[in-house]
Amino acid sequence: MDDKLFITLVPGNTFIDKLTGKTKVRIFLLLIIILTATWDIRVIFPIFILSIIMLVSIKPDVKKNIAVIIFVLLMNIFNLFLTWIIKPDYGLEMVGASTVLFRFSDFFIVTAETMWYFLVRLMKFMASFLVSLTFIQSITPSELAAGLHSIKIPYKICMIVSLAFRYIPDITRDFTNIKISMQTRGLELDSRKSSIFTRLKQYVLILIPLIITSFDRVGNIANAMDLRGFGKSKDKTYYCEHEDTRGDKLLVPFIIFLIILYIALVVIKAVYKAPYEVWAPWIS
Amino acid sequence: MSAVIEFKDFSFRYKTQSEFTLHDINLTINKGEKVLILGPSGSGKTTLGNCINGLIPFSFNGEMKGSCKVCGLETRDASIFKISEHVGTVQQDTNAQFVGLTVGEDIAFSLENDMTPRDIMLQKVDESATIVGMEKFLSSVPYNISGGQKQKVALAGILHNDVEILLFDEPLAALDPAMGMSAVDLIDKIYREKEKTVLIIEHRLEDVLYRHVDRIILVNEGRIILDTTPDELLRSDILKTNGIREPLYITALKNAGITFDEKDVLSNIEKLDVERYKDKITADFHKVDIRDNIEKKEKFIEVKNVSFNYGEIEALKNISFDIYKGEKIAVVGKNGAGKSTLAQLLCGILRPKSGEILINGDNYLKYSIKELSAFVGYVMQNPNQMLVKDIIRDEIEVALQLNDFSPEDIEERVESTLKMAGLYPMRNWPVSVLSYGQKKRVTIAAILALRPQVIILDEPTAGQDYHHYTEIMNFITDLNEKYGITILFVTHDMYLAIEYTDRAIVFSDGELIGDDAVYAILSNDDIIEKASLKKISLVTVARKAGLDPKEYIHYFIKREREAA
Repeated sequence: MDDKLFITLVPGNTFIDKLTGKTKVRIFLLLIIILTATWDIRVIFPIFILSIIMLVSIKPDVKKNIAVIIFVLLMNIFNLFLTWIIKPDYGLEMVGASTVLFRFSDFFIVTAETMWYFLVRLMKFMASFLVSLTFIQSITPSELAAGLHSIKIPYKICMIVSLAFRYIPDITRDFTNIKISMQTRGLELDSRKSSIFTRLKQYVLILIPLIITSFDRVGNIANAMDLRGFGKSKDKTYYCEHEDTRGDKLLVPFIIFLIILYIALVVIKAVYKAPYEVWAPWIS
Repeated sequence: MSAVIEFKDFSFRYKTQSEFTLHDINLTINKGEKVLILGPSGSGKTTLGNCINGLIPFSFNGEMKGSCKVCGLETRDASIFKISEHVGTVQQDTNAQFVGLTVGEDIAFSLENDMTPRDIMLQKVDESATIVGMEKFLSSVPYNISGGQKQKVALAGILHNDVEILLFDEPLAALDPAMGMSAVDLIDKIYREKEKTVLIIEHRLEDVLYRHVDRIILVNEGRIILDTTPDELLRSDILKTNGIREPLYITALKNAGITFDEKDVLSNIEKLDVERYKDKITADFHKVDIRDNIEKKEKFIEVKNVSFNYGEIEALKNISFDIYKGEKIAVVGKNGAGKSTLAQLLCGILRPKSGEILINGDNYLKYSIKELSAFVGYVMQNPNQMLVKDIIRDEIEVALQLNDFSPEDIEERVESTLKMAGLYPMRNWPVSVLSYGQKKRVTIAAILALRPQVIILDEPTAGQDYHHYTEIMNFITDLNEKYGITILFVTHDMYLAIEYTDRAIVFSDGELIGDDAVYAILSNDDIIEKASLKKISLVTVARKAGLDPKEYIHYFIKREREAA
């Protein structure tokens, strides 16, 4: 099967891979929530470093990962550049000062504060991205379902998540088959030979049988689930959710630490009302 | 003996239909019986099964009359969950019913839903997996295992609840012949070891009879036609009129003018005393003059030393063969043997990594996929994956429009194609109201519109009973005889090869292991085994009667074709 998506179906052997879905989902959610909640580099930088360590530790496919990371990095830098063009003195608003480093014109200035703000923002986005990338590549869909269930999400919703992952490769295969059959009937998908508009129109032709075959399958899946008692009890246990490993136990204090950190961030923000969103060491 | 299933004056009508699907069913099945529910497609046999496992009335609504009791429960007053504690069902679609992401998870699914603690669950999954022989595959993902293995997983998934009744809905439909045989064998093994009541719903009689069944219930048009022992059923002539194919050896013996009596064990060719009728069989047999068949026609496609690989995986290794104009060829071999790769190579979707394919003597690399569609057409197994328009006529038009025909040409071609396919009176019908077999016909017509010289049909008869099968095959034979179109059947179906093709090309693990007349291939034990085919019963008849299997099969084929 060609694995173009980043989904993992067979669990790996690294420390993170071996954790339970429960631990993976918790740590992921906490890290993402903290990253969203704060603009403080004293929090973001350690998480950023941690995310790099995590990603490297799961021994991912280097080529595939580097490609997406560079792509996302470039998009982010481009985004920052556009922001700078619109508001070169953004730093004044976010950090609270304007130390000009370089001046192209009266409007287009480069300030230390704007650059600092951009650095924090870039690090914040990249850390979220790397955490997500690690998460996606280390969790199997069933562990995800079990993990979501462990944070009290109803099991029927968790089942939808894992079923979606289960049948994505099947649908991809159907799509390829239908495409082949249409190509032998003269459908031209070669970009050199037909315009984008024609090709888009032709992809619609493929979608119709794809939807019909998928509907056929849905009925069968639903029956198979009914016949094996899905929805019989109020709750469900999980075959893939193994007992806590040593890693899971070791990480319990870390999870508690993250929760405390998040509460602390929220409390500090509420009690000590900082005049500016982004902290910088040279501004008191 | 106590009854586990009891139908009394039972009728059922689906909510969406005006007619009743089942009429006046009176049927009792006792504990520990092994019963085959036999019937053509659309006969109501699957509906009957769904009444037993509770999908009716709990997933499919409708009107019920009379009574249906399963293990003492009146089904309409119970729930599907209550019934599933007594009846375990293995469905036909082996892939869709695999809901877990690994083998272990799928086997565990009903345990998960029962909230079984994980330690007990692990143990039970191991036990069930061992019974069906899948214990080494617990962490395999569904994309890497075969249809036969998926079916075993489905079976393991219903074993741990200690259900009383095991229900198999068309267990052979998705399997190649060798896998089908091992499925029938496994069902029998579990029946004996676990002492369950087993119900098999099928239309492939000979394949199910590979292992003993106690009773056969013949269903047609929503009624029970006959409820009797296998021997009794085979002695009668009721099968053909009800759209069921007779086992080949029975047909062969009947052809020889033999009338069976009470003493004959007809349901098992190994036990059947063929020697008794040896004289009649040899008297009837005439060796076919081989010279009849040698006239070879014009070479059309030449495949020369073609290899193809997907990354590391070698799909075809150094394949060479020729296709002559007007031939009917069966391309056989188990799943993954390289058949579909070959089909895609011939259509130009894939191109050879080494070696070459010549069409009319020219290397076919000079043609694009689109240009090749004038030479080679490809009809897929599942018609739903091919049909893109609402109206039959429009469906035929698609390929012509894509190939930039002028409006006048399109008009003319569509009309003649509809006539060739016998679809002209139905040309304005919506595709959605057609039966599976009719849809199949439309897909063939859609390809026919481009007038390819070769049509490749992927499993043209899959999922169809004898009646529809004959209809579609006669249509294809017509195309071959009237219009000279060369046909390649990619198939597991040995009956198809016997009745409708002259030559078979056999693949195993990417290699071409046989290219010969059908009768020669079918009598070659070595090839049969390597290609996961099933030894056909005619070979056994021939050996028992002291005849050469190859000559005997050849004679049988000739005779059947003359009779048709």
